[in-house]
Amino acid sequence: MTDALDDAGNRAGPGNEVGDDVEDDLGNRVEGGTARVVLSYLTRSLANEPDAVVIEADDSGRTTRFRIHVAPGDMGRMIGRRGRVAQAIRTLVRVAGSRDGVETNVDFVDD
Amino acid sequence: MTEMSLEEQGQAAQTFVEGLLREMGMDATISLRMVDDTTAEVAVDGEGLGVLVGPRGATLSALQELTRTVVQKHTGGHSERILVDVAGYRARRAEALQRFTQQVAAEVLSSGTERALEPMSAADRKVVHDAVNEIDGVVTRSEGEEPRRYIVLSPSADAPQADGSGADES
Repeated sequence: MTDALDDAGNRAGPGNEVGDDVEDDLGNRVEGGTARVVLSYLTRSLANEPDAVVIEADDSGRTTRFRIHVAPGDMGRMIGRRGRVAQAIRTLVRVAGSRDGVETNVDFVDD
Repeated sequence: MTEMSLEEQGQAAQTFVEGLLREMGMDATISLRMVDDTTAEVAVDGEGLGVLVGPRGATLSALQELTRTVVQKHTGGHSERILVDVAGYRARRAEALQRFTQQVAAEVLSSGTERALEPMSAADRKVVHDAVNEIDGVVTRSEGEEPRRYIVLSPSADAPQADGSGADES
């Protein structure tokens, strides 16, 4: 086992059970709701440097537009061959957004 | 990077899927099953999971792709076959594909001519290859490039000829 296994599980624990996942650690409502927590979970699970993942959210009407920044070394895995991983992330974020009645748009930003 | 056994890879996949379902706010039972020596399956079962399957299984395919990619992060490259199923969708679909493949194989056997199938995913091609492997007299090969790679079923060289004329190729 590698210690990296714990990266994906680091949101587990008391205070983060099913149902309260649209609030951040301080109890504030997170912009983007379920879509945002799912996007954060997916990108952090995929990244070798999860703490370098930055997500900007921009609400305009019914659509939330997300812009993802990751460490340069993580961009390749985040996009995947022929963009398959990026597309898979978009698909699951769309499903998450639909649970809140929100449409989503996910862009990966190459800084 | 430490070598990870198939079971450890399966557990990493299960942990990832459990976390995702939690963030989705979806209640489900997630179990890990060793299919064979080189394949593990994470099965997600419960009520109201249709959104995780999606139209023509598109969301399930996305979930599969992400799970495999996360496992590959842990292994540092390759991974064993890690399958994800939701509400038995993949199992039902595999059975239908097996039945279809057996029909086509029977036609190839009786006609002696090869048949090309529609392009399909690597996971679906594996189902077809496995199904044909169990049938004497028909072999498979893959042609074309991803994502339009497809399987051709043809009579094997040593197949008994339907008309009994042996190696006579007319």
